[in-house]
Amino acid sequence: MKLKLLTKRFIYALLCMALTLTAGAQTKIVSGKVTSDKDGSPISGASVVAKGTTTGTQTNASGEYSIEVGATATKLVISSVGFGTTEVNANGANTDVVMKATGEGLTEVVVIGYGTARKRDLTGSVGSVSAKNFNKGPQTSADQLIQGKVAGVQVIQNNGAPGAGTTVRIRGAASIRAGNTPLFVIDGIPLSNTNSRPDIGFTDVGGGSPAGNPLNFINPNDIASMDVLKDASAAAIYGSRGANGVVLITTKRGAAGLPKIEFNTSVGFSSIAKKLKVLNGDEYRSALAANGFKTSVSTAAVPTSNYGSNTDALGAIIRNGITQNYGIAISSGSENARYRLSLGYLDQEGIIRKSDFKKYNASISSTVKMLDSKKLSVDFNVSTAQTIENIAPISNSAGAKGSLIGQALQWNPTRSLYRGTSPDSLNILYGSDLINPLAYSEAYFDLAKVTTVLASVSPSYKLTNDIEVRTLMSVNYSSGLRKQYLTPYINVQDINIDQSLPSSNPNFGKGGEANVSQNELVTKQITNTISYNKQINKSINLNAVVGHEYIKTDFGGNSEYGRKLQPTDRPYYYFLSSSDPSTRQTNGFQDPTQELQSFFGRAIVNLNDKYVITGTIRADGSSKFGKNNRYGTFPSIAGAWNLSKENFMSGISEVSNVKIRASYGLTGNQEFPAGASQLTYILSGNPGTFGQAQIANPDLKWEETKTANIGIDFSILKNRLAFTVDYFNKNTSNILFPREAADPVTPNGAIKWTNIDGNVRNKGFEFSVNAAVIQKSDFNLNVSANITLLQNKLENFIGEIPTGEVNGQGLSGAFAQLIKTDYPINSFYLKKFTGIDKTTGISTYEGGEQKFFLGSANPKTLAGLTINVGYKKLNVEMAMNGAFGHFIYNNTSKGVLAFKNLNSNKNVGKRDYELGLSLGEKPVNPTSASSRYLEKGDYLKMSNLTASYNLGSLGKNIKSSSFFVNAQNLFVITKFSGFDPEINVSKPLNGVASFGMENTPYPSSRTINLGFNFSL
Amino acid sequence: MKKILIITIFATSLTACSKLEEKLGSQQTTGGSSGGGGVSASSVLAGTYEAMKLPYQDQSRVWASQEHTSDECIAPTRAGDWDDNGVWRVLHSHQWDANHSFLADTYRDLGRIVFSATDLLRLNPTPAQAAEARLLRALAMYQLLDGWDQVPYRLNTANTEEVPSVRKGVVAADYIISELNAIIADLPVGPANRANKDAARVLLMRMYINKGVYAKRAAPTFSPADMNQVITLADQIMTSPRNYSLASNYFDNFSKTNETTGSENIWTGDNIGGSSSGNVRSRWFCTLHYNSSPSGWNGFTTLSDFYDKFETVDKRRGGNPYPGMTQGVLPGFLIGQQFNGAGTPLTDRNGAPLSFTRAVKSVEVGSNLEVTGIRVIKYPIDYTSGDNAANDYVYARISDVLYLKAEAILRGGTATNNPATFGGSNTALGIVNFVRAHPSRGATALSSLTLDNLIDERGREFYWEGTRRTDLIRFGKFLAAWQEKPASTSKYLIFPIPARSLAANPNLTQNPGY
Repeated sequence: MKLKLLTKRFIYALLCMALTLTAGAQTKIVSGKVTSDKDGSPISGASVVAKGTTTGTQTNASGEYSIEVGATATKLVISSVGFGTTEVNANGANTDVVMKATGEGLTEVVVIGYGTARKRDLTGSVGSVSAKNFNKGPQTSADQLIQGKVAGVQVIQNNGAPGAGTTVRIRGAASIRAGNTPLFVIDGIPLSNTNSRPDIGFTDVGGGSPAGNPLNFINPNDIASMDVLKDASAAAIYGSRGANGVVLITTKRGAAGLPKIEFNTSVGFSSIAKKLKVLNGDEYRSALAANGFKTSVSTAAVPTSNYGSNTDALGAIIRNGITQNYGIAISSGSENARYRLSLGYLDQEGIIRKSDFKKYNASISSTVKMLDSKKLSVDFNVSTAQTIENIAPISNSAGAKGSLIGQALQWNPTRSLYRGTSPDSLNILYGSDLINPLAYSEAYFDLAKVTTVLASVSPSYKLTNDIEVRTLMSVNYSSGLRKQYLTPYINVQDINIDQSLPSSNPNFGKGGEANVSQNELVTKQITNTISYNKQINKSINLNAVVGHEYIKTDFGGNSEYGRKLQPTDRPYYYFLSSSDPSTRQTNGFQDPTQELQSFFGRAIVNLNDKYVITGTIRADGSSKFGKNNRYGTFPSIAGAWNLSKENFMSGISEVSNVKIRASYGLTGNQEFPAGASQLTYILSGNPGTFGQAQIANPDLKWEETKTANIGIDFSILKNRLAFTVDYFNKNTSNILFPREAADPVTPNGAIKWTNIDGNVRNKGFEFSVNAAVIQKSDFNLNVSANITLLQNKLENFIGEIPTGEVNGQGLSGAFAQLIKTDYPINSFYLKKFTGIDKTTGISTYEGGEQKFFLGSANPKTLAGLTINVGYKKLNVEMAMNGAFGHFIYNNTSKGVLAFKNLNSNKNVGKRDYELGLSLGEKPVNPTSASSRYLEKGDYLKMSNLTASYNLGSLGKNIKSSSFFVNAQNLFVITKFSGFDPEINVSKPLNGVASFGMENTPYPSSRTINLGFNFSL
Repeated sequence: MKKILIITIFATSLTACSKLEEKLGSQQTTGGSSGGGGVSASSVLAGTYEAMKLPYQDQSRVWASQEHTSDECIAPTRAGDWDDNGVWRVLHSHQWDANHSFLADTYRDLGRIVFSATDLLRLNPTPAQAAEARLLRALAMYQLLDGWDQVPYRLNTANTEEVPSVRKGVVAADYIISELNAIIADLPVGPANRANKDAARVLLMRMYINKGVYAKRAAPTFSPADMNQVITLADQIMTSPRNYSLASNYFDNFSKTNETTGSENIWTGDNIGGSSSGNVRSRWFCTLHYNSSPSGWNGFTTLSDFYDKFETVDKRRGGNPYPGMTQGVLPGFLIGQQFNGAGTPLTDRNGAPLSFTRAVKSVEVGSNLEVTGIRVIKYPIDYTSGDNAANDYVYARISDVLYLKAEAILRGGTATNNPATFGGSNTALGIVNFVRAHPSRGATALSSLTLDNLIDERGREFYWEGTRRTDLIRFGKFLAAWQEKPASTSKYLIFPIPARSLAANPNLTQNPGY
């Protein structure tokens, strides 16, 4: 009582002071910091409203707010999820608020798909990451925000190109063919895994050119949280699309309060993270001499591989890239209407010349409450984005056109990239198959533009206090354009101007090639839900939802291609009309319309806050499924027991929370092409004949995954130390595979999509720990770590499916991986290298041509670690991630850098040369795909290190400013000899995806960003 | 509650339930005559001829299965070149398995001919079109039977859910024979590059001569009745209105003008120079050195033991000028120093003399690895048509008819007199010597004919024409050791059913030993 009185007096005193200071003014500014009573940590996103008015604001990431209120305002109402609502006196310039956590922090709400749930009601395995825990610094795509943050989730940057695709796997790989990418859902709208960016149109580069990232259109600054649904209890509400897990992305919304403008800016400097070492000119000359090659400087009369120079060809095509990132977000609103407007611009230069990525984002979201009763509420969202990429010719193809990095690594280092001394005259080796990488980079142009508009409107009506009816309607439109050309001065077969033609020939003096492609992807959706959320009586709480959803997707495109064009200094794709008609190709495709219609429901029942039961069911009907299997039903059941609520636990005050969870359920994977169940004919040739392309399978259906999950959440010391452990066992059956139709088949080569026998089992453990190690007012240390143990095995499978194509000269028909029963999928199947025969200098293999299973590309262990240290206004965060226990096939070492290159006027890797020398290798040694190139893939990467300094208010207008330095991909601890162990170059064979292959990808970069954020 | 109902009805009525009928975009569900999609018997027949090109003319299909597995051909690994992860080495050394990609692709591509020809039969073909398609199908089935012993087929190509049935061994052989006998009447007389009567007859001869092999590959027996069929058919072909004769130059049968000059050719695959051709060019590209003209891929060679089977006077061995071959390469075997068109000696890429050696190893390790092995030019090079060479691809020649007749006599058939145009002899030796002594061959006459010297003579006459494996098996020589190959076990007489084909068709069974 005494304290209360004292406080009151103090507040009155403050109030008087404030009144004096603001006498005569119409308004006053109140600012302060909102913190938690539990650990003193700042509470971000708390709503601060002047009582009795619509004037309000939100706290920033540091828990700070600043609000301009009427001079007479006396109280502020502050509310935040997990902390309830507090009223404080609006006394003056500085009002700090300490909020009491309600329900021991467990009223935290988690997005779970078609609704939210109180965290204490969760029965499934859900990993939630909110904005403040995202990977820091500018990120190109949303999935990078949670790399290393959630147990069981592996995020791999497929290569180092700006805007490059990622591989995201949740709890291992369950599918051979249908894809292992989780379903991404942004504000209730599932995204297609298809990207509207057209594939490259040049044949030698082929479909092997790395795909763009379908999440690129999202502005990471707009994301408030990402929730990863991992087990069946969580994901079954997404039915036939839930088997690979689901990532729910929730965007930021405006908060009530005065208009707030937030700026964030940064500039970054990127450089190659690891430059693979090849022999330099002098080393190459000694290597020639040491291996019995002539070394006098080459002339027409004396052909040798020594040309007298010293050239760093890789150095000539790499550069330091600059990344600029700007964002503005304006938000404001009253209790009844709120909005947020966000603009973003990212300009990222790649570390390879002529590669860059630009992104423009503009989005607006709003929530309006209507009617006198305020029972009708309308959310709407429009998000637009355009990405513009210049792409370097780096693909998984060994062909002349797709391997700029390979060309650079192999360029004879004694040969100048320039002819004579003129820097303008590139040394192009006409008549040779050796390609000058700098000249090739000059000659190659590849532009891709993807424009996306995602718009949704979602009215909801509260029928009663407990029942809400909601409709969500959305359109996701994406249009991709790709333009490429190759100028005729480069020595690529069929591209170079044909010097031998007589001038009378219509193709005399013509050359080059050009391609223009455009694709369009449109998805429309309508979702209707009715939710019921009620504390029925003292002991029963029910949270239920039923709904209907309809999604329709159309995807199509066309392209024009031609060769032998009139010479021009303008982009060749403008002049396709001048191409040689016999080289022209025009193509069009329109995928069958995909329709998905679903009925779903979920009930979460909480008894006495001790027992929670969740039941979920979804029936998915898809036009893709065979007509005998139009609908699939996906149920799940789960329970949780809050031990800490039991009486016998009440005496143990150290334990804050103990919850045991168990779930079992069914989810599906339907990532196979539309039309896959039907007999189809395609038109080919001119005038054109229809040929069978695909054989009907009216029984075709989804892949089915049964997941059992047992988990425990355990926290002690007032939640300062929290553990989560999960065991999961996923069994995927009805494996989807486009089997070659049984011989004999049509000359087009028909396939039949089949659910083949066998099952893929993924099981493992996930451990997460979050520890607030030190909690002092000016010193905090937080550590969060996660470890995942994974096992993958294919069972009861008949047949063998090779993948992991190893291509290049002398490698026809070679592959590195074989999918076979009782082995993990993507197991390496190679000859076993036993050494070099000392007399011949060539490789020897166990059993001659025999091949063996030699380990798999799937990591056995994944790890993520984040350490955050806050000292006064300085905050340092370090994020690491790693993968262990897997192998990577290094096809760069084998196909690009091999010792034998000495034979053919090409450079050799320094490591490959030294290793070869020590083994007694000779240049005659052929390099078969073998265990020699299979390397341990273990790595631990310092992926993100950020130091930020909170400057606070600057002058009158600038508030909550902060400055940061951020290093991405700072270093990697690994024994892998290639560019980067975090790699996944697609090397499919007959369409079967590979994993864990490195094939001279776009190299990874290391980026240092400097940034400044502030708000007005 | 009423409100809930109303809202629910309103909400769901917005979307109304979809029937989820899938509508196709740029594909269509029918391609047959009913679909109006432009499929007709003539277009499918053209497509069937087209489907012959890859399996027969490419270097990695039927040809590889017949030649690389034999004593005539090897693809030495030259440092990184032609290593191809051992795919060639296991062919020559008889170590292939069910995942061998070339063998699997050959099996599949032959099946595509079978499919396409069967597909034609439901499109109201004329009797001649049907007969042509059935002959192409019979050839593909013969090749499947010969290689894999199991011939899958579809009764109804429109019913794509049908699991193909399989004919094996003698059953398949009897079926192919009955097919051929049924269609001869409807087939056209010529020309050679279309399915024709004599083509069906020569295929029948191959069926009868090999029938005993398909019954028991390790120890075949040959029935006199089958041998007499071979002899009768040979006589029919020799007296056919096509008026075959031995060409004045052995290589005319393979030249870019062989459509007109190949007087021995009974059956060929049509290649149109410059526009529409199979991969016949790979016959010279695979063997020529990088510095040859045209620049080749420096791969396949023959073996010295095989080369030594020829007398020096034998014109089939080559070394003689040939019209149009003015850039230094001559048809036949290339051995020793090579020259360009001006007569200047060529060098390899290291500057050493481009001099092809007799010796060749499966894996070359020496500094001369670029130049090892005797190269073989069976098809005179078409220098004018680019990648689409004009040389028609040869399936069967009249000399094969003569040699098969001679063999049938040796194996117990009843001899008949050859027509006067083919020497008039009624002995096996006389028939073979007629060919050997012809000015186009210029070889000395054999003093006697045995199975052992007949298989050698078949090698000399038909080297690199894609029949050697079949011949070696019939003569019981296929499992023997030869250069760069140890003796092999009897399972290698039949190729394994490819793993992926086996997985797709429960009616197939893996061949013994694989």
